[in-house]
Amino acid sequence: MLAVKAEGLTRKFDGFTAVNALSFEVDEGEIFGLLGPNGAGKTTTVRMLSCIISPTSGMATVAGHDIRSNPTGVRRSVGILTENPSLYERLTALENLEFFAQAYGIKESRQRAERIRELLEFFRLWDRKDDKVTVFSKGMKQKLAIARALVHNPTVLFLDEPTAGLDPEAAKLIRDMVTEMSGKERRTILICTHRLEDAERVCTKVMIIKRGAGVVIGSPDELRLRMAGRPRIEVRVKGDGESFADLVRRIPSVIGVDVINGRIVVTSKNPEEAAPEVVRALVNGGAMVLSVNETLPSLEEAYLRLIKEDA
Amino acid sequence: MTDFSNAMLVFWKDWREMRRNYQVIAPILFVPLIFAVILPSIIFFVPTMFGIPESSFQIIGPIFQSLPPEIREMVATMGGQQQMLYIFGLYFFAPFFLIIPLMASSVLASDSFAGEKDRKTLEALLATPLSDGELLLGKILVSFIPAMAVTVLSFAMYCVVIDLAAMPLFNGAVLLPNLLWTELIFLVTPTVALAGIGVTVIVSFKVKGYREAQQLSAILLIPVLAVIFAEISGLIIFGPLMILILGVGFAALDVVVFKVGIALFNREELLMKGI
Repeated sequence: MLAVKAEGLTRKFDGFTAVNALSFEVDEGEIFGLLGPNGAGKTTTVRMLSCIISPTSGMATVAGHDIRSNPTGVRRSVGILTENPSLYERLTALENLEFFAQAYGIKESRQRAERIRELLEFFRLWDRKDDKVTVFSKGMKQKLAIARALVHNPTVLFLDEPTAGLDPEAAKLIRDMVTEMSGKERRTILICTHRLEDAERVCTKVMIIKRGAGVVIGSPDELRLRMAGRPRIEVRVKGDGESFADLVRRIPSVIGVDVINGRIVVTSKNPEEAAPEVVRALVNGGAMVLSVNETLPSLEEAYLRLIKEDA
Repeated sequence: MTDFSNAMLVFWKDWREMRRNYQVIAPILFVPLIFAVILPSIIFFVPTMFGIPESSFQIIGPIFQSLPPEIREMVATMGGQQQMLYIFGLYFFAPFFLIIPLMASSVLASDSFAGEKDRKTLEALLATPLSDGELLLGKILVSFIPAMAVTVLSFAMYCVVIDLAAMPLFNGAVLLPNLLWTELIFLVTPTVALAGIGVTVIVSFKVKGYREAQQLSAILLIPVLAVIFAEISGLIIFGPLMILILGVGFAALDVVVFKVGIALFNREELLMKGI
C-alpha cells in the first residue's frame, strides 16, 4: 500500500519555481530519501506534504488523505522534524511534549504521560525532562524534536535533515532508530538530506532532486549502477601503483586506468573477465599483487556527477 | 471548527513562555507601575510634605478651564491641594490608563505572533492539526487576558494611591473608583487592548520578528498621546463625552483591524514571511 503519492507537485514563489512537477511514490514501511544539495526543493516538498504550505499545482496523498481536500487528516497522520528543531526553549522538555501531544489530540492524560515517558527514555532524556530546552545541546534538541514528531504515533514521519549538526554517536542513534521504526513498526519515513551517508545507510529508496525536479529514483545500489556506471577492479600492489599502470593499459578489454592513493583502479566493459588478465599482466610485469577487489563507484561519486551536470 | 479547549492549549503554552521572558514581563509590569503608583505618588504625596510648586498651577490652569461647568463650580470651592488632587487624580491621569492596555497587549501580541518567527518555532506549531481559528483565538486570548489583568490591577493600585492621598484632604472621603473611571477601565480599555492586538496581528504578517512588530504596532500610541497632549493643553477633558468618543472610536477601530487581521490570518503566509 502506498503511504505517500505525489503527482506533478509544484510550488512557485513569486515567479521562482522551488519544486517543479515532482512525482514519486513511497510504500508503507519504506524509508525514502529525498537527496539533493541545499536549495534543491527538499524542504519545500516536505512542507507541502505535511500541509504547512500548499502546492501551486499538482496533488499528493499522505496516509490516504489528500493534501488539498483534507489537510487536517494529513496533519494528524504525519509527524515532522522540521529544518530547525522548532522547540519552545523557555519550556521544559516535558512541557514541550505535553503541548504537542495535546495539540495532536492525545487528550487522555495517562496515555499522554506514558507515551512521553517512553519517548524521553528512548532518547535518554528522561533525567532532563524538567530542564528548559534552552540549556540542551544541539544533539539533545534534535532528539527531543524527533520525540515530538513521534509523540502521537504517526504512520508517516517526515525528517528534514535529521542528523544535521550531530556528533557521530548521536547521528548513529538517529539512523538506528529510523531503521528500527521502519522495520519493526512499519512506519513510513521520508528523510530529506544532503548527507549521502544517511541516504546510503538507511534509505530503501532514494530520489535525487535538483532545482526542484526529480532527476533519478531507485535504491541506493540501483542509483550507483545507473548513474556511476559499471563496477571497477581495484588492485593494491607493493610499491607505487603508478609504475605498473602502463602494464594494465595495454590490455585490450580495459577501458580506463587510474591510480588513486597508490591503488590501480581499472574500468572494463566486463570486470569479471578482465580481472584475471589484469592480475596476470601485473604479475608478469614484476608487480607483487597484495589484493584485488571489485568495487562499485560510491553513491557520493554518482551523486556528485549528477549534481555537477548542467550546474 | 474552533475548539475552545485547543485555543486554551495555545493560550497556556504561550503564557508559560511569556512569563519566563523578561523582555515581555518587564515592560508590562514597569510601565503600569510608573503610571499607577510612582508618578501619582510623587505628584500627590510630595506636595503634602513640601507644599505645591507654582508650576503645578500653570498646568492645572488650562485643564481647569476645560472642565465641565458643574465640576468647575465644585472644584472652585476647594483649597489648592484639594484642587490639585481632584483634577490631576480624577481627570489628568485618565489617558495614561489607555497606554497601559495598549502597550501591554501589543507587547504580548508581538511576542505571541512575531516572536514565534524570531524563535523559529512556528513551523512545528503550524504542522499540528490545530485550526487557524484555534491558533488565532489562543493567541488573542494570551495577549488580551494578561493585558486586561495588568490594567485592572493598575487601576486598583491607582485607586489605593489616590484614596490614601485624598483621605486626609477630603475628610476621609473615597474618590476612586467612581463611575467615570469604572466605565473607562471596564468599557474603554478592553477596546484599546483589542485594537493593540489587532494592529499587531496585521503587522506580524509583514515583519520578521518581535522587535519590529512591537515598534510598528506602537503606531497606535500616536492617537493616545494626542489625547494626553490635548488634555494638558486644555482642549479636552476626560469626561463622559470623551469616554463615549474613545469607546466608540476604538470599538470601530477594533472591527476594522480584526476584519483585516482575520482575513490576513493564513498559516502559510505567516510562515513564509518569517523565513
